[in-house]
Amino acid sequence: MSLSRNLYLNLIKDDRYMYLVKGLGNTLLITIVAVVVGILLGFLLAYIRTTHDKTGNWKIANLIAHVYITVIRGTPMVLQLLIVYFVIFASVNVPKIIVAFIAFGLNSGAYVAEIIRAGLMSIDEGQYEAGASLGFSYTQTMLYFILPQAIKNVLPALGNEMIVLLKETSVAGYIAMDDLTRGADIIRSQTYSAFTPLLIAAAIYLFFVLIFDSLVKKLERNLKNSDH
Amino acid sequence: MTTDERRPLIEVKHLYKEFSNGKSGREEVLSDICVDFYEGDVAFIVGPSGAGKSTFLRCLNRLERATSGEIFFEGVNICDDKVDIDRHRQKMGMVFQQFNLFPHLSVMGNLTIGPMKLQGVSKEEAEEKAIKLLRRVKLEDRASSYPNQLSGGQKQRIAIARSLCMEPDVMLFDEPTSALDPEMVGEVLEVMRELAEDKMTMLVVTHEMAFAKEVANRILFMADTQILEENDPVNFFGNPQNERLKAFLNKMI
Repeated sequence: MSLSRNLYLNLIKDDRYMYLVKGLGNTLLITIVAVVVGILLGFLLAYIRTTHDKTGNWKIANLIAHVYITVIRGTPMVLQLLIVYFVIFASVNVPKIIVAFIAFGLNSGAYVAEIIRAGLMSIDEGQYEAGASLGFSYTQTMLYFILPQAIKNVLPALGNEMIVLLKETSVAGYIAMDDLTRGADIIRSQTYSAFTPLLIAAAIYLFFVLIFDSLVKKLERNLKNSDH
Repeated sequence: MTTDERRPLIEVKHLYKEFSNGKSGREEVLSDICVDFYEGDVAFIVGPSGAGKSTFLRCLNRLERATSGEIFFEGVNICDDKVDIDRHRQKMGMVFQQFNLFPHLSVMGNLTIGPMKLQGVSKEEAEEKAIKLLRRVKLEDRASSYPNQLSGGQKQRIAIARSLCMEPDVMLFDEPTSALDPEMVGEVLEVMRELAEDKMTMLVVTHEMAFAKEVANRILFMADTQILEENDPVNFFGNPQNERLKAFLNKMI
């Protein structure tokens, strides 16, 4: 089978390219929403953990956060997705894309929490004391002095987490979510030709990963240049 | 002699401080400190390393929690858990050995954020005040610089100005020149000397003995977790009583 015939069969015939287009749309949408959910959740968890470590308060909240992070980081993503879909939302009819938002967001939150926590802990104790000595409360000190510096330090790591998440969403097919990977697999099952659809899908992932990666690198350079 | 009839600005009563010391238990760093400071005092606290000087100073604004005892600041016992310590800290400026400027804010940002966020001062007003204080520490041309563009001496002068922006009633100096290159010590001491001349109440932990002799109205000698001697500079250096102090002063010269 010639290359052009192969491409025609896998992409053009019956508008099969739409599986990839729609799949890519879902993949990007899940990634973006999960990143937002993950960052919000990650901040909350990191704030709880750091406050406990710095002040000794919030013992119960810290325990919950600690267990949450341990369980999420200690179990496979696929299994978490299946549990959210088949166990937690077993008796309610929730659109699969919402399930994906939640499952990937919850997962990302645990990783983001550890990244941000490392950022918060890297800030010198003297910064907390300087804030306190001026009369800022602990929360205000966090907000005005610690967080801005910590976020700057961990932005590259957060960018990498986004890249990881983009690729992780490829397991969404386990709950019959039509993402990019599943789109390619559907084409394969229709045309009995694996090479073309799977490699095209891989190339699309790689393309977006390289774009994200160059953005992260650019960000890193900018941060280094404006090092204050 | 302090023959002051007024209530002291700071009253320290039976202050104890212990640090937990691994598995071997507790280590006492301050034991039964009783001392008063009055408005206008320029009190220097000197003594060997490990005597508890810095810990004592840090207890005064509760950066370290006292193990027991009372510290009254403007009549309020700040060791009391129910006290809103943040409000009282606004009235107690502190200058650190390591400067602790906020590296992500410009010099102007460092100086204005306190008044703006804590005292409800407008941006214009806060900047006006900041410029005045920058002039006072002779760094008015560095308002838009960032801390990492400044020398150590400049950083410390900015840190002093930042504290002054809050219009504190007392300034605590925790070894303000110990982290500086020798040629930069003078510029910081100069700013402190002017502050003392302007009748700012100051408590200074330092190893700069000559400076203490010149500027202080009271000098306290701390060693072995206690204040062992207190006097005016002339008698402190000229007629020391305590044996530990005599030995300490001998080693200084």
